[in-house]
Amino acid sequence: MTPSLGHYLALGGLLFLAGIFGALTRRNVVGILMSIELMFNAANINLAAFNHFLHPAGALGMTMALFIIAVAAAEVVVGLALVLAIYRNANSVYVEEFNLLKG
Amino acid sequence: MIPAIAFYLLAAVTVASAVLVVTLRNTVHCALALGICLASVAGIFANLGADFLFAGQLLIYVGGIAVLMTFVVMLLGRASDMHNRQVNQQWAAALLICAITGTGLWHAARVYLHVTKAAAGGPTTRAIGLLMLGDLAIPFELISLVLIAALLGAIFFSHAERP
Repeated sequence: MTPSLGHYLALGGLLFLAGIFGALTRRNVVGILMSIELMFNAANINLAAFNHFLHPAGALGMTMALFIIAVAAAEVVVGLALVLAIYRNANSVYVEEFNLLKG
Repeated sequence: MIPAIAFYLLAAVTVASAVLVVTLRNTVHCALALGICLASVAGIFANLGADFLFAGQLLIYVGGIAVLMTFVVMLLGRASDMHNRQVNQQWAAALLICAITGTGLWHAARVYLHVTKAAAGGPTTRAIGLLMLGDLAIPFELISLVLIAALLGAIFFSHAERP
């Protein structure tokens, strides 16, 4: 059975669900960043699949996925630098201990 | 036939390694599973005929982000983290949110379950390049601005103050 557009969308949805579950339940802040990367990839799969099946002559979906990859790279670089800075101050990687601003 | 088998194999590897990323206890193993997941997503892109996206995914995600994650995981934390629980108590609520979101996504995805028109394969790099220097020239320049800002921000935040 050849995979249809719905199969690719279902794969993207499963990847997104795994990412959302990880972002909600991980305690480790690096784990949360990894889960966010999974969600970015789910969106990229959907964009490439829509491009391939619904508009095969164009390349707008793939170009948008490339933009998402660039923004994700910028996000993860700044995020990991922030994580290192927080780790130097709080000496912990668990998000429930980052409560310096809590009143 | 071969692309269909490749798709199902790659999809299985992708979903299995994504579940490993969010459930494993050892964060180094999570980073390795993330690398596998990103590489198999690159395979999905190749299966979709997106050759430039495949190369970009391998270069930036597998070669850059996964390696960076591994470095940071090895820089952070202590050995005692291996024995700590890595998930909080809200997993039931998170599963509920996942179920609701999954139902919505499934109702959106099954509309397209019978769209199978296969596109003619061919190189896509020329079309992407023409788009980036034509219609999307301003977003393309803005992305380079964002990357410069991210570079400066990373240097600023990770710079350790000398005592």
